[in-house]
Amino acid sequence: MSEIVAANCLGCHGAAVRMSGLDLRTRESMLKGGKSGAALVPGDPMKSKIYRHAAGIDQPRMPPDKKLQDWQLTVVSRWIGTGAPLDKPVEAADTRKAMAAMEEKPISEEERQFWSFRPIGRPAPPAVVDVGWVRTPIDAFLRKTLEDHKLEPSPAAGKRVLARRAYLDVWGLPPTPAQVDAFVNDTRPDAWERLVDQLLASPRYGERWGSHWLDLVRYADSGGFEYDRDRPDAWRYRDWVIQAIASDMPYDLFARLQLAGDEIAPDDRNALIATGFLRHGLDHNVKSEMTRMDELDDLVVTTSNSFLGVTVGCARCHNHKFDPIPQKDYYRIQAVFFSTKNHDVPLVEEEAARRFKRENERIDDLEKPLKDAAEALKKPYRDRKMAEERARLPEYVREALRTPAEKRTEGQKLNVIQVEKTRNFSEADVVASMSDEDRARLGDIERQIKKLEGARPERLPSAMAIGEGGPKPDPSYFLYRGSPDSKGSLMRPGVLSVVARQEPEFPPPPPGARSSYRRKAFAEWLTSRGNPLFARVMVNRIWQHHFGEGIVRTPSNFGKTGERPSHPELLDWLADEFIRKDYSMKAMHKLMLMSAAYQMSSDDNAAGIAADPENRFLWRMPRQRLEGEIIRDSMLAVSGTLDEKAGGPGVFPFIDPSLFQGSSGRAWAGKPDSDPSTWRRSIYIHSKRSIPLPMLDVFDKPDGISSCPRRNRSTIAPQALILMNNSFVRFEAKQFAKRVEREAGADPGRQVELAFALAFQRAPDAAEKATAVKFLDGGGESLADFCQAIFNSNEFVYAP
Amino acid sequence: MRYLSRRELLQRAGGGIAGLAFADLMNSEQARAAGGSNPLAARAPHFAAKAKAVISIFCYGGVSHVDSFDPKPELYKRRGEVMSGKGEVVVSQGNPGGLMPSPWGFKKYGECGRDVSDLFPKTAEMVDDLAFIRSMYAISNDHAPALFQMNTGSVLPGHPSMGSWITYGLGTENQNLPAFVVFTDPRGGPIGGAPNWMNGFMPAAYQGTQFRSTGDPIVDLKPGADMTPERQRRWLRLLGELNAAHARVNPDDSELSARIATYELAFRMQTSALEAVDVEKESAATKKLYGLDSKITEYFGRQCLMARRLVERGVRMVQIYSGGGNFQSSWDAHWDIAENHGMHAAETDGPVAGMLRDLKSRGMLDSTLVLWHGEFGRMPISQRMNGRDHNPHVFTVWLAGGGVKGGIAAGSSDEFGYKVAEGGKSINDLHATVLHLLGLNHEKLTYFYNGRNMRLTDVSGSVIREILA
Repeated sequence: MSEIVAANCLGCHGAAVRMSGLDLRTRESMLKGGKSGAALVPGDPMKSKIYRHAAGIDQPRMPPDKKLQDWQLTVVSRWIGTGAPLDKPVEAADTRKAMAAMEEKPISEEERQFWSFRPIGRPAPPAVVDVGWVRTPIDAFLRKTLEDHKLEPSPAAGKRVLARRAYLDVWGLPPTPAQVDAFVNDTRPDAWERLVDQLLASPRYGERWGSHWLDLVRYADSGGFEYDRDRPDAWRYRDWVIQAIASDMPYDLFARLQLAGDEIAPDDRNALIATGFLRHGLDHNVKSEMTRMDELDDLVVTTSNSFLGVTVGCARCHNHKFDPIPQKDYYRIQAVFFSTKNHDVPLVEEEAARRFKRENERIDDLEKPLKDAAEALKKPYRDRKMAEERARLPEYVREALRTPAEKRTEGQKLNVIQVEKTRNFSEADVVASMSDEDRARLGDIERQIKKLEGARPERLPSAMAIGEGGPKPDPSYFLYRGSPDSKGSLMRPGVLSVVARQEPEFPPPPPGARSSYRRKAFAEWLTSRGNPLFARVMVNRIWQHHFGEGIVRTPSNFGKTGERPSHPELLDWLADEFIRKDYSMKAMHKLMLMSAAYQMSSDDNAAGIAADPENRFLWRMPRQRLEGEIIRDSMLAVSGTLDEKAGGPGVFPFIDPSLFQGSSGRAWAGKPDSDPSTWRRSIYIHSKRSIPLPMLDVFDKPDGISSCPRRNRSTIAPQALILMNNSFVRFEAKQFAKRVEREAGADPGRQVELAFALAFQRAPDAAEKATAVKFLDGGGESLADFCQAIFNSNEFVYAP
Repeated sequence: MRYLSRRELLQRAGGGIAGLAFADLMNSEQARAAGGSNPLAARAPHFAAKAKAVISIFCYGGVSHVDSFDPKPELYKRRGEVMSGKGEVVVSQGNPGGLMPSPWGFKKYGECGRDVSDLFPKTAEMVDDLAFIRSMYAISNDHAPALFQMNTGSVLPGHPSMGSWITYGLGTENQNLPAFVVFTDPRGGPIGGAPNWMNGFMPAAYQGTQFRSTGDPIVDLKPGADMTPERQRRWLRLLGELNAAHARVNPDDSELSARIATYELAFRMQTSALEAVDVEKESAATKKLYGLDSKITEYFGRQCLMARRLVERGVRMVQIYSGGGNFQSSWDAHWDIAENHGMHAAETDGPVAGMLRDLKSRGMLDSTLVLWHGEFGRMPISQRMNGRDHNPHVFTVWLAGGGVKGGIAAGSSDEFGYKVAEGGKSINDLHATVLHLLGLNHEKLTYFYNGRNMRLTDVSGSVIREILA
């Protein structure tokens, strides 16, 4: 018996670890049991948990990773049946050592040589036959691969197509006819470069590319779970991202501020707002050690997926099954974040904060006598209701109440306490039971209170930031099987060991620090040249959004279960170039947009499709279905209703109330479609986790709960229903029709031309024009119907 | 149509499989789901199955097992006493009381002689068709995580719901209707909201569609009142012509043609969805069976009847929530359980029993799996004098039809109904069983996401064999 217990149980229920509080080393500790009661009932195996779990009668079966053999079960059963004699404690002498050994997993040289973990090289752009096609080094890499596979690049796209493509890609909005004409009529050789520069210089670029980043960091304006409370300051992070990207903040600084803005620039409000990155996780209703572990998991997972492109989250309970990521890496990275605390920092001068407090106290003081008076009025009525309620209790409870306190049994004591603490009617019930006169007096008092409440100062704007309790970090531990009940060694902070041959230093915080400075050190390692994943992962993301797919098509998984790069040398060249350009994202955009590849046509081409149907070698530009946000923004832009105002709290478009019937205060104060406050770009829509906006949701807007590196691209009937029937789409179609009528006059031919120019950036051909003109002849709301057909058309919802 | 690459098939299936180009990375389930032009095309199960569809009755808030299907005479015998010998008593809202007997009596029903309380007299008559699991346990005693666990297998939101997994595995048999339909209570939706029926990391094709019980069943199903069918057809022709012109330069793009097809489907859905929920087509006797003749049962009865009509038309899963919002509007009986459960049972008992009878008489019960459950059970001790707090340690669910053995009870709770006594069953076990009854192996139904093959049952779960017919 001792041998069976030592070999199978003590790892989790022994000296080092006592999962579920259970220690199986001695007979006494077995009798004492753990959280769910005694483990051993001598003489009765069927009542002994140790047997029941081992035999699989109770779940979970123990031990979890293997089944005891029948003979072993027989031994256990006989031992319990004969009274469970155990004269000395079961000891696995080397348990502690064995446990400590479990924490270590060396990484081999071969594992370090996996493509994504190797240092970034600087491959020379290859020589190609078709030198005339090549405009940038990117093209040399791409052309070489095409030549190797005997593929021809597609011809260059026309200027109108290019304009539509570039505006939708960089701004997320279609160009106006004037913008298209300006580009088409610009015959200078550098017309394209001028357009690219102009697009990248606009705040619209920050809004478009900011939304890609928000997908990645599971941004939302509410906390999820039961209450899904709104986060009234979350939008400041959203605006910070938009502005950081629009102003071309170097990507390394962008990353460092989000992880450790409070440590890097404690006096900079924007740096504090940036740490909102660490605040977008879920609000757990119940706070426990386990839910704290889940919160930390969200930080470890989001950080490692977003910045490192590896799935460190898989190493929470065991060493990563596919990648050389030891479980210890997980807990050392967790140690980096372990001491973080939510920290809301008022964004006002100290004097204003004091004034805010004083003003609230003044109102509290004025309300006090009023509230006392209201209470005095209500109390007798409440007491009477209470007595009525108690009279309805079952006899055994009333008996407990009647019994003198000193004679009550333990159960009666419990029930009396409960009754005394309970009131199962509402204040409204109390008010309803009042006399008319008292109710009138109460109403008068409550009106006065309400008036005072109305005079309270508005809530202070705050940064939804991260802080720590002090310079000394809280101790954190290795957790066997990810369980807080099974703590292993104390963890020092660390990084991804497969790429960090030398452990980076985590220096002590400077004097006067308010935090451990672990995050700053981590961020410095993350963004250092020694970490090849940082630049590689990001240039791949930028590529993915321009070209539809990444060079690695699993953008947050550069590990073994991820995909290998289609153009590994190009990826390295880009990553190196990114570093050389001081992590300027705009430099990378420009490089990619200036390539001949980006300017290819997306039209079908039989030879290309036959040889490379997936377009892995990029013989054409892929056509891309627009995201729901961009479809919505395009409607607003084309109809002339778009409000280009940037930033500020989120807006609330209409959602059918039957889709969000409330519970626990969940509500959506949707404005009608005709309310201009909602005609903002979709990135400014309040993003509530429990109430997704259907129009965006059906087009695969991510749920804002976990990091989304690449959106799904569904093609489903509910999308058609929304574009056909949704009141917002109809409203915008009518606005579009009004605009067309206003600007093109009454002539149907001119109306069709203008609608095409606005929506598709081209003129209709003769057949299209004839069809449309004939349709407009149908009377009634034909023009609005025609405009809505445009919103529904394939051409409108795809970037060419 | 030309040959479609595997990659394109995946993209057409919603493209949910970020960059799985290599055959060795290709998850065979994902390839299977993508094996046609439509992510919801009906697919054969892994093995022959009896159940083709699922109806889940979700008694949201947490229905009490000790007041319904798991009688505990000890609670009466030891009323008012401290519950002892059970280790630490964990309550979600503090102030535990003594043991509290059920306000309802229990009687034996059917050939099987199972005990059912007076709370569910009509369901009781169907007891020979029900398989009880009296040893279910959940992880969390907090509503939102417990709802998420019951619906998705995970206490954290962001995972696909069981309905998403089922439609991912099997598609649907009627393309003119949504594959997975959800009805909420008129008093409000469940805590946690839409993530309870969302697709999580899967493509949007697999999300549940909320149906309304009155008026148009689906939001945005129909155009504004001024749009006549003739005008709409004319409009669709125009759209077709615009798309045809666009397609001339892109003749081979299957994604574009798939998008055009969704309009035909949406148009057909307008009529078929309305027809499917038109309970006025049912006979007076059937309406009565579902309780449509009574104000108390009318609302839930209508939903049950619509559920049968939807399943009859090939919908794969229907979930109906009884209870919405908070406290007394849901089954969350923290106080006055007699009033709370009395009200909710009065609304649902007749319609649920009627639905079972109706399914049976139409020969549909054999192929329809009916589930009845909350997100957890309730405590044997009192709370707030006459209520019960949450109890995730043990609770009862029942299943009927679809390959389930009737008249039996698997597992048991302890003498008070506080914890599992024998044969504890996890939510993963329940999910594994539901998938099994639908012919799906829960270990093989996987979806590759964030570096690993995800499952509804995560890394555990075993089929509850005792209740299989």
